[in-house]
Amino acid sequence: MIVAENLVKEFKVLERRPGLLGSLGTLFSREYRVVRAVAGVSFELPAGVKAAYIGANGAGKSTTIKMLTGIMRPTSGRCLVNGLEPYRERRRTAAGIGVVFGQRSQLWWDLPVPDSFRILRRIHEIPDPVYRRNMARYRQLLDLDALGSTPVRQLSLGQRMRAEVAASLLHDPAVVFLDEPTVGLDLVLKEAVRELVNQVNAELGTTVLLTSHDIGDITAICDQVLVVNHGEVVHQGTMHELLRTADTRAVVFEYRDGPTPEQAVALVEDRLDGASAGRIDGGRIKVEYPARRWSVRQVMGFLLEHFDLTDCVAPEPDLETVLRRIYARRAGTREVPV
Amino acid sequence: MRPVSTTVRYVRLTWQLSAVSVHRLTEYRMDFLLGAGGLLLRVVCQVAVIGMVFRQVPEIAGWHYDQVLFLLGFSLLPRGLDRMFTDQLWILARKLVQNGEFFRYLIRPVHPLFSLLSERFLYPDGFGELLTGAGLVWYAAGRLTLTADTTRLLVAPVLVLCGTLILASIKTLFASLAFWTTNSFPALYAANQLGDFSGYPLDLYHPSLRWLLTWLLPYAFTAYVPASYLLFGRARPLPWLFAVTAGLVALALAVWHRGVDRYEMTGS
Amino acid sequence: MTAATLRRYAPFAVGSLQSLLRYRSMFLINALTATTAVGVQVALWRAVYAGGGLPGGYDLPRLTTYVLLAQVLALFQSNRVDEEVAGEVQRGDIAVSLLRPVSYPLARFAAGLPVSLTNATLVAVPVVVLYALSLPLSAPSPEGVLLFGCSAVLSLVIGFGVNLLVGLAGFVTTNIWGVRVVKDSVVAFFAGQVVPLALMPGPLAAVARALPFQGMVDGPLRLLLGRYHGPLGAAAILGVQLAWAAALSGLAALAWRGAVRRVEVLGG
Repeated sequence: MIVAENLVKEFKVLERRPGLLGSLGTLFSREYRVVRAVAGVSFELPAGVKAAYIGANGAGKSTTIKMLTGIMRPTSGRCLVNGLEPYRERRRTAAGIGVVFGQRSQLWWDLPVPDSFRILRRIHEIPDPVYRRNMARYRQLLDLDALGSTPVRQLSLGQRMRAEVAASLLHDPAVVFLDEPTVGLDLVLKEAVRELVNQVNAELGTTVLLTSHDIGDITAICDQVLVVNHGEVVHQGTMHELLRTADTRAVVFEYRDGPTPEQAVALVEDRLDGASAGRIDGGRIKVEYPARRWSVRQVMGFLLEHFDLTDCVAPEPDLETVLRRIYARRAGTREVPV
Repeated sequence: MRPVSTTVRYVRLTWQLSAVSVHRLTEYRMDFLLGAGGLLLRVVCQVAVIGMVFRQVPEIAGWHYDQVLFLLGFSLLPRGLDRMFTDQLWILARKLVQNGEFFRYLIRPVHPLFSLLSERFLYPDGFGELLTGAGLVWYAAGRLTLTADTTRLLVAPVLVLCGTLILASIKTLFASLAFWTTNSFPALYAANQLGDFSGYPLDLYHPSLRWLLTWLLPYAFTAYVPASYLLFGRARPLPWLFAVTAGLVALALAVWHRGVDRYEMTGS
Repeated sequence: MTAATLRRYAPFAVGSLQSLLRYRSMFLINALTATTAVGVQVALWRAVYAGGGLPGGYDLPRLTTYVLLAQVLALFQSNRVDEEVAGEVQRGDIAVSLLRPVSYPLARFAAGLPVSLTNATLVAVPVVVLYALSLPLSAPSPEGVLLFGCSAVLSLVIGFGVNLLVGLAGFVTTNIWGVRVVKDSVVAFFAGQVVPLALMPGPLAAVARALPFQGMVDGPLRLLLGRYHGPLGAAAILGVQLAWAAALSGLAALAWRGAVRRVEVLGG
């Protein structure tokens, strides 16, 4: 279980002046600027959920995860992980969490992967049956044996990431934080990591908090999403709820007889105010319409009335588009073209 | 009960993790030979220099050839032990804060300093120094026909342990500076270089250097003071040795903790 | 060397000069280490003279001069080439060097030159001044200075060859640290950086004379202090240096060819 209450993290950044004279100047007088990386984040995740923590670069995702794992201390506010305040009781927290920080390794640099696991087993005092069960799982899903006795420093990023994910789950943590867990993996291995996380969650009820730039990770793993922007949580709910906040909906249809495709497009755009239509492959037509202006019923009614429909699908709004709109709205800038 | 079980846990962990680390010896046989062999050759060169000096005169500053060899050998024992268990501090000084990888010691359910050091337990290079040191002490003690009374035999391991703690503390102290400066390698390197001079009789040196090596960077207590006691029975500075060890360990841990606190504040 | 070649390699020297600012702390450490090393060695030899020795026919001012200038030469030859080449090999960046239309060893030499010169001026001059003011030294003759100048240039080439070979050893082992320990102790010893060759016992001196390293410190200093027999003797010292400089350059070129072949086959 994870709780964040008004988490704030501020950094002091040294103001650098340009040029040689400027850098000489900073030797004598230093000016600091306070940067708010996380500006009062609050949320609550019940045990067993798989949540994605989504936000643009610089939205404070990593900083929040660092606070939740006890690596960083909040400026104000507090958080609880498994009922503990991580930065106050770091070692007790560490026993119950697993962490993957994408590019940064937690393995023993000059030892082979199996040795790292043996050490982690000792440090976490993992009981034999648990260790054997988990190793068997990794062997099957991640093909860990293929890493052999090569020291970690000689592994490729993809090989290492598999071991990193496995290492974070080895001690059956109640909560696992995955920051970019599929960086550098090919499609097959990405699938394997996703399956591993889902399996562990289903069997052991492990709570998952994931950040990723790969939308595929999020849709394959997560049932909850937290969207942060400029250091604040701007949306929390299920993935479905998030997608429903999209202000444009789409319908793709196919018809027989009647008007030519050009005429059909013109008809839709003319009669449905604010909608845009276009031909897509296979002679089908895609209509995108503002959800506030038109209800599904109105759009469907219109289509049924004017066309002899042979097929009609309403695809789910696409996550990237929804997110882009949220970021843009919050930033107060104009919409980023899709 | 609690402190006892904690100690037992860490001792057991040290043993188990060292056992895993032994793999390194077999994995990198060539590297191990180079590291340990390099340190061995360095000692051989030092012994050769001492030998050449004593070709000229029978004694310098009141020390004979075998006594200087004993001192040099003894100085290698804490150095070798320190190298075998705290070598990861070099990596901390050089890059762990800079590239952000220090985080991993904060997400393991053991003391972060232990977690850090454990990554290089039984680092093979140290064997070179430890073995040559032991060999030199054995050889010199045999030629000096040192009377091995019970007190000295009991105290000697304690002196080696204190020396190791002093070296480890100095290293921790300078490596921890990286929490403020992100890279403290130059400072650590400089401090380490000065330690190289502690294997000779300090009576030779200019008083300022002697003072520096006794009170500022107390390398004197890792070799000169204990060897003087074992060779000449000079026991007067021994209380200081224990005081300095305790004080330095406390200081190093305090600076380490302040550093980790700072890392938690800034995350870099 | 034609003007065109000079123009082609000048950017490497300029680039290295510009990045020197990054190594400020290195210069400070070099100064500290050199000062302490001279102080410690002089203290050691003083004790020998106090005991009535006259090692190798050197009197104290001459030996002090030798010890001091040995450190200066060592500084002059420390050009970071070993570290940088080994670093490139281990990171795999060395493959990129094949893409440049220049000779890698020559480019490395050009990049190492500013480091040598900066070491010699910024570090060596203050150290020499410090000791010239506080210790009796022997004033060299004008022809001694002239011969020393030529010899120092040759010693630079020998030192560069050794460093390049140490750096390329990164292809063979991952423990470059171990190789450098060997270099720093064994090469320094046989170069005469710690003890003049004249003070070594016969067989050891014979070994040292047969190795290229004596041309790095002992050769130039024999020329400076006038420890040779007539013009022929001086020419012999320079001739041997020249021969070793050529041989080491050839060896370095061969090692580089081997390295290139390895990169071509294994990709770095």
